[in-house]
Amino acid sequence: MPTLVKNLGVARDDWTLLEAPVAPPHVPERAILPLAAWLEGGAAFKARTDMGVWLAGDADPEANAAALAALPLLAIHIPAFADGRGLSLGALLRTRYGFGGELRAFGDILPDLAPYLHRCGFDAFVLADDRAAHAAIEAVGAITGHYQASATAPLPAFRRLARDAAEGVG
Amino acid sequence: MYRYTEFDQRFIDERVAQYRQQTRRYLAGELTDEQFQQLRLRNGLYIQRLAPMLRVAVPYGTLSATQLRALADISRRYDKGYGHLTTRQNVQFNWPTLEAVPDILADLATVEMHAIQTSGSCIRNITTDQFAGVAADEAVDPRPYCEITRQWSSQHPEFDWLPRKFKIALNGAAADRAATQVHDIGIRVRRDAAGQDVFDFLVGGGLGRTPAIGGVIREGLAVEHLLTYLEAILRIYNRYGRRDNKYKARIKILARAMTLPGLKERVDAEWAHLQDGPGTLTAAEIQRVKAHFAPPAYAQQADATALLAERRLASPAFNAWMRNNVAAHRAPGYAIVTLSTKLTGVPPGDVTDVQMDAVADWADAYGHGEVRIGHEQNFILPDVPLGQLPELWERATAQGLAAANLGLLTDMVCCPGGDYCSLANAKSIPLAEAIQRRFDDRDYLHDLGQIDLNISGCMNACGHHHVGHIGILGVDKKGAEFYQVSLGGNAGDDASLGKILGPSFGREEVPDVIEGILDVFVQERREAEPFLHCVRRIGIEPFRQRAYANAG
Repeated sequence: MPTLVKNLGVARDDWTLLEAPVAPPHVPERAILPLAAWLEGGAAFKARTDMGVWLAGDADPEANAAALAALPLLAIHIPAFADGRGLSLGALLRTRYGFGGELRAFGDILPDLAPYLHRCGFDAFVLADDRAAHAAIEAVGAITGHYQASATAPLPAFRRLARDAAEGVG
Repeated sequence: MYRYTEFDQRFIDERVAQYRQQTRRYLAGELTDEQFQQLRLRNGLYIQRLAPMLRVAVPYGTLSATQLRALADISRRYDKGYGHLTTRQNVQFNWPTLEAVPDILADLATVEMHAIQTSGSCIRNITTDQFAGVAADEAVDPRPYCEITRQWSSQHPEFDWLPRKFKIALNGAAADRAATQVHDIGIRVRRDAAGQDVFDFLVGGGLGRTPAIGGVIREGLAVEHLLTYLEAILRIYNRYGRRDNKYKARIKILARAMTLPGLKERVDAEWAHLQDGPGTLTAAEIQRVKAHFAPPAYAQQADATALLAERRLASPAFNAWMRNNVAAHRAPGYAIVTLSTKLTGVPPGDVTDVQMDAVADWADAYGHGEVRIGHEQNFILPDVPLGQLPELWERATAQGLAAANLGLLTDMVCCPGGDYCSLANAKSIPLAEAIQRRFDDRDYLHDLGQIDLNISGCMNACGHHHVGHIGILGVDKKGAEFYQVSLGGNAGDDASLGKILGPSFGREEVPDVIEGILDVFVQERREAEPFLHCVRRIGIEPFRQRAYANAG
């Protein structure tokens, strides 16, 4: 059974992911809509604060970035576990477009992708089952220091280490 | 050379533990073959025809004597006592067990080595000029920038799951010994008029199924922008590179689809967001890494001119080796020596544990404890005092590492081919040997001059056949092994892709075909004209005719 990991813990999923568009009056509470359906819903949808949107890995969020960034939840579909497009998309939403809500990955997610997702700003990912969910949580802590700046490390290692050295921090 | 900081060492150690855990989960049945494949590939482990193959990273081809001894030791304990030098300056072991790989990686980590990203759809080992730092024709030492790029590319959060493998090469000398025009990104480091290091970026070169020459996408980029500009290119590639067809997934295909100016526009727009951001290199960081590559203290050497002249007169073999395998060093009194692995009867690039130990000893005895691996699959000793060349030559001869054929026909580049590789259509090693046996006359080879003969066992082009002056590609015709021959490729400054002669040949025909090609060259060449020049001047038609006549 698909298991949600949120903030590095197993969590209950109280959102409903809608694969296909649903007519506006029938959209349930806390629904995650496909991007196209949400755009079609216009101002009525944009006014709702309990609605999320999901994006395909090849989506270009640039045109709607400000509206998307105001949503409580954005989800990115990972169609195959070795498909890294969602990583760039997530990183852009978090670091360039200032999205502060829940950033969720769903689809074909291997636990070993979790460290990458986490560093690209995802705070939620849906794993295949409970064992995979726990493996994903464990995987995030496997490497404690990376070289690059990321959503979890605003500075690259060379700046961090130089700053720590200057401040006399071990 | 670069030595790990505590931070670097911890990263490598934790990576070993991470991979050990991944292997354990696979063996416990928690990961499918397909899932584990992606994980093991990112740690250099292929499952080959006969056994797993582990590719160890040798960043930009630089090894210490200590590291080389560790590789020799690994080949003894986990393999059959030999290793293979690859065209990406790495070392491969063909016979480890899957279960032993975490232990091998732990051993490697004790000497600051790893197998991270030596395969898989990610940023591969950064390569450079095997003479970097010592070449007489070098403007800027590219190694600090290679190391900075290596660190940046190691488990990058965004770019470890790319559409396809991604190869970056840097070159800082007048001659392009790093083949920058046939890499996904080629970076040329030079000093500008103001005396500052700057980069010219090429994008979209590559071999494989659709060979392409890279185009210039940025000129004169200041060094502090190295990583942010790379990030911009990689982000565009990661987002827009094709993932529906692995044969159309390299950045060269994206560059063709977008056109080079179109790609440049996207990259520059992306870079505008990143420029001067936290990824910008600091002067302190560049200086820190450069300090690791400061030239060693070169001692004043006694004049060896008379000694060398006397020995060269006395021994034609030593004379040939001096002429072909010894290159000019930037420090007076020193030379750069290439130890050829291309002895007839030995698969190109294969070296035994005994040879590895010997080369390590020579690096200590005749140098500063450093060894290089070149993309032509040879060892290089970068700092040999001229007066010690005769002694080194004698010892190398005794170890079968003094073949005086560097740059000549028999110094061929060759992938492991169908003897080992499960991707190969055809064997390449027996063919290389057949050619070496046919053309083993030292004077004849020397008269022919520089000829790059490159052999790949399949379209993946690990043997770089497209850029061989003579390229040979193994093809499958209804289950039988055949070989397609091309002429006029070149990996150097004026890179070009070879033109295919025509229908492929059977393996036993290939030596006759090569002989026919060489006969035409000898007949048509003007004075000391190089082979490549001659092919470019007269075109492939005369060669084609003789080749097919000889194939009978």
